[in-house]
Amino acid sequence: MHAFHVHYRNTQGTLMRILNAISRRAIDMPYVQAEPHGYNHKVSLLLELNPKQIGQLFRDWHAIVDVVSVSAGAPTEDMMELAESWDAARHPPVAASSGDSARAAMA
Amino acid sequence: MLRGAEIVLQCLRAEGIDLVFGYPGGAIMPLYDALEGSGIKHILTRHEQGAVFAAEGVARVSGKVGVAFATSGPGATNLVTGIADAKMDSVPLVCITGQVRSALIGTDAFQETDVFGMTLSLTKWSRLVKSIEEIPAVIAEGFHWARSGRPGPVMIDIPTDMLKAKMEFSGPVKFTPHAKPADVHGESTFTETLITLLEQAKKPVALVGAGAKLSGAIPELRRLLDYLQIPTFATVHGLGAVPTEAPYYLGMVGMHGTRAANMALHENDVLLVFGARLDDRVTGDPTRFAPHSRIVHFEIDPAQLDRVRPCELPVIGDLAETIPACHDALRRVKLPDWTNWRAVACGPERGELDPRGLAQPTIRFLDELFSRLPENSVILADVGQHQMWAAQRYRSSLPRGFITSGGLGAMGFALPAAIGVQMAKPDATVLCVSGDGGFQMNIQELATVHRLGLPIKMVIIDNKYLGMVRQWQQLFYQRNYAETDLSDNPDFVAISKAYKIHGQRISESVVREFPVSKETGDELDRFLNSSEPELLVFDTHPEANVFPMVPAGAALSEMMFEEE
Repeated sequence: MHAFHVHYRNTQGTLMRILNAISRRAIDMPYVQAEPHGYNHKVSLLLELNPKQIGQLFRDWHAIVDVVSVSAGAPTEDMMELAESWDAARHPPVAASSGDSARAAMA
Repeated sequence: MLRGAEIVLQCLRAEGIDLVFGYPGGAIMPLYDALEGSGIKHILTRHEQGAVFAAEGVARVSGKVGVAFATSGPGATNLVTGIADAKMDSVPLVCITGQVRSALIGTDAFQETDVFGMTLSLTKWSRLVKSIEEIPAVIAEGFHWARSGRPGPVMIDIPTDMLKAKMEFSGPVKFTPHAKPADVHGESTFTETLITLLEQAKKPVALVGAGAKLSGAIPELRRLLDYLQIPTFATVHGLGAVPTEAPYYLGMVGMHGTRAANMALHENDVLLVFGARLDDRVTGDPTRFAPHSRIVHFEIDPAQLDRVRPCELPVIGDLAETIPACHDALRRVKLPDWTNWRAVACGPERGELDPRGLAQPTIRFLDELFSRLPENSVILADVGQHQMWAAQRYRSSLPRGFITSGGLGAMGFALPAAIGVQMAKPDATVLCVSGDGGFQMNIQELATVHRLGLPIKMVIIDNKYLGMVRQWQQLFYQRNYAETDLSDNPDFVAISKAYKIHGQRISESVVREFPVSKETGDELDRFLNSSEPELLVFDTHPEANVFPMVPAGAALSEMMFEEE
């Protein structure tokens, strides 16, 4: 697992563009946290990537108009803990049973 | 006090826009209401996809930003293919859509779609305008991003109440981008590394893509290539960048590239890439692409690097600056003598084969047409077999003279794009080559051609199939021609007549003798020199194929050729 921190100006759609660069490659996102960071915002991500994907993502993120900087680092314990609990959960979601569907429909 | 719609139009004028394409509808009506007297000419296409492709035509032939208008909901969704096309082919484009009024956004109102969200992954930049006060800054910023760096599409979605609202307007504004930290991927001393690579090279080659044209660096590139004299080839969007008569030029590379170009790309040991993405249609199997090559990639967009293979030397920046720097540095050193390599790569044993097989008449026909075109002509090709035949036979050295939907491969592109090209270049001869499938995808734009009286020369290569798909079905799916049969095509000549455009049909027999007879030649000249729009339907064999061909998943050296 690799941790990434993308600093960006929180303009319309910028966070979505950052995340889309990941999702378009069908890469799971077990940990995502976006928060204000100084004058800008920061999204921290934990991703399982090969070296080629790392290079591509760095370049795709840099190409987004309002991305300020991209850095990588070791995952924190918090990140790993949350990611592991996500790993343990059922995903992708299995088909809901008819009872689940009915409850969902009435929710 | 000005209405938001009037402010939009004034801002467009400030960006140098005097021509837009579009289709009105409920949410964008205030903008249309303000058009008269704005100094902006609006062209009504007959479908929003026609509008966005026409805007692309303007941008692709002129390098200026193309602009398309559409209303909310279906109007906006109909733009999406064109936006994706502009993204893939680096076309500067600004789309302005009306949106339902602010209070209704998010309520699934009539003709509401989240076009901002829908196009996030296709646009370089986009905004949903939240107040009338934002409009000048949003338009200035949108145009900046559309034309800067690697050009691309921008979407600006404006709720209809913002277009109707009024405010004091002090004039268009300028946008100043935030400074970005220096890019870490560029190599500031690239010339030293480049010299080392070339000094060690035994089989260097150059690949030219669209970026060379977009940067306006064609004269610099041609000077550099003339100096290096290394085997050179082009992507489909790079056609015209290098004069075809240059002794080191090998033509188009890739899936339907020339034998010489593909072999040289496979065999080289140093590959200079000038503004090309190296997509799979160029590389073939990426794991076997240029296996001995050390890649030097001249590119303005760092996101395009290392997509297929890590490059040895990334040269990030505007080619108009990096190419002259490269040339200056190389002139100061003695480079190896590559005469023998050039003789092999450009030698007669790798030369083009004479057209043969079922495609021969079509190729002869295109050769005949192209040879009769004036120098300033622009050829548009739609998507499919005819596109590849046209690209293979293109011989002009006009950098923006061959226009096609390359990256996205959007059928239906050529006819509306030709409208944009002819509007932008009224004195040019515009030849639009389509297939019978693609032509029907935006056939309604014949009405636009007629209304404007544009003297576009439209050619349909009619094989009564979705030809390229059929070719793949023949070669790789045991001739199972599933859903590609168009043998019940309409009478295109009758359709053109209904649109008040002169049309005629000719058969392959006219090119049986080659060069063609004087009578046929005169007829082709009349077609090309007419001051009116003209349609010519060329009947060709249903099973004509495009060769050479690199099958999907094969290496470039594994080309298939037409059998005797």
